[in-house]
Amino acid sequence: MADGAPSRDDVLSVDGLVVRYGSRVAVDGLSFSIGRGEIFGLLGPNGAGKTSTLSVIEGLQSPAAGTVLVDGQDAIRAPLAAKARLGVQLQASSFQPELGLEQLVRLYAGLYGLRLSGDGIRDRIEDAGLGDERAKRFKSLSGGQQQRFSLLIATLPRPLLMLLDEPTQGLDPQSRRQLWARIEGLRGEGGAILLTTHSMEEAQAVCDRIAIIDHGRLLATGSPAALIAEYREDPRVVRLARGEVTLEDVFIALTGSSIRD
Amino acid sequence: MTDAPLAPGRPPIGMTLAALLRADFTVLARTPQVLVTNLAVPIIFIVATSFGKRDFAEPGTLIGLALSYGTMSAGMLGYSTLVAQDRASGVFQRLRVTPTPSWAIMASRIVVQLVSAVVMTVLGVVVGSIAHGVVYEWHQYLAVLGVSLLGAAMFLCTGQAIVGLLRSPASVNAVGRVLFILLIISGILGSIGVLGDWFTVFSQWTPVGALTSLYAVAFGAAWSDATTAGAIMVPVYAVVCAFVGIRFFRWESR
Ligand SMILES: Nc1ncnc2c1ncn2[C@@H]1O[C@H](COP(=O)(O)OP(=O)(O)O)[C@@H](O)[C@H]1O
Ligand SMILES: [Mg+2]
Repeated sequence: MADGAPSRDDVLSVDGLVVRYGSRVAVDGLSFSIGRGEIFGLLGPNGAGKTSTLSVIEGLQSPAAGTVLVDGQDAIRAPLAAKARLGVQLQASSFQPELGLEQLVRLYAGLYGLRLSGDGIRDRIEDAGLGDERAKRFKSLSGGQQQRFSLLIATLPRPLLMLLDEPTQGLDPQSRRQLWARIEGLRGEGGAILLTTHSMEEAQAVCDRIAIIDHGRLLATGSPAALIAEYREDPRVVRLARGEVTLEDVFIALTGSSIRD
Repeated sequence: MTDAPLAPGRPPIGMTLAALLRADFTVLARTPQVLVTNLAVPIIFIVATSFGKRDFAEPGTLIGLALSYGTMSAGMLGYSTLVAQDRASGVFQRLRVTPTPSWAIMASRIVVQLVSAVVMTVLGVVVGSIAHGVVYEWHQYLAVLGVSLLGAAMFLCTGQAIVGLLRSPASVNAVGRVLFILLIISGILGSIGVLGDWFTVFSQWTPVGALTSLYAVAFGAAWSDATTAGAIMVPVYAVVCAFVGIRFFRWESR
């Protein structure tokens, strides 16, 4: 697991990434890397640049500067080779409203070069706990079911690296726990995961390592426990903490307490 | 269930296109309003104009007008609105994070449109020849098919130009409709000739007028100045609109 110099084993390495929208700088020289089998959390308040960072890795956004390697493939110069190694859940997922779940799984399987039989498709949908919803349209699913379906599409190619943008946003506690268990389960299959979240509880529950970013810059990185240990004595943290220092105290101390929209 | 290896390479392009085509044809089949406007309306027009007095226009002109209407409705309203909606809702973004080249996403949709233009043409000509009691030779069928494909291409390019220049599905739909009405009216009034000679000549240079002239020749009329105008203008409109539609097109809605 590598901070600093990218190692051969890195599934993802982002170096000096800059993303601009017109004159607005959304990501400002961000660097980090993720090792095999690692679950990495990108934490930051709204507008910190999390989705923009993922968009570059996914090939949806061209950066103003920086390099992105996915399993050694240049995601900016050779986006298709990089995308073949990625499973993606977008923050606002959307699927053709005319198609049912089975048809969508068949479409996306084809786009990743997988040959699934009708039974194979139904098995996957069953595994995602959507067996009774097979013929339904994505829009008619509940929030939790939609997230599970998006996760199913992201896991379909058994990717080396999965990018999950706020996967538990808007879910009730039961669905959240269930999704955490699924994310944990994916680690067992050997792939790495990069997820973004606002939830410190989630970061602590599932992430091996996190990076806290704001205004597109990296503020701190390390395991949740290591970050708490590192900042325990920091006066900003001491002032905020009520009793035992939590990851949330560290997060707020680093990113400030003003509200972002 | 056997597990696929981690991280397969890029899929062969044939597999990508097959998956996209299958999905896009399913979308078309599941959009009944499109089938009605693009297929039922031209057929009803062709059948309805076969009753009563028939001397105000040749059967070929009427069928050509109906087919122009159908290809125009499919390209300028159906195609453009679907693209604008899929862009606004994020359907494109979701497709584009897979290892699929962007051109394939569009190519599949265009193929679906061209295939439906062929189906509409064959149906229109068969129904037309029965209803109007005319017999067409196979080479006329082929010529009409060719004109339909040209027309479908021109109106798809027009639709592409509209989604290239406008962002929101509501404005794409509104502009498409207004343009649609203006073009169909100028084409119909020109071919009937009620607004005088200068308008008839003007109309021959508009997209619908140009296309109906080509249809007339395909159905057996003699080549005229109007046909020359049509043969020049249809490709010109297609190329100009394709340029605008590709040059200014954005995949994202923000
Ligand atoms: N397409 C866009 N056009 C203009 N500004 C954008 C766009 N996407 C994001 N931004 C801006 O860039 C900043 C970072 O946004 P984003 O990456 O979505 O943050 P996060 O996902 O961390 O909430 C925000 O200030 C946001 O308003
Ligand atoms: Mg975001």
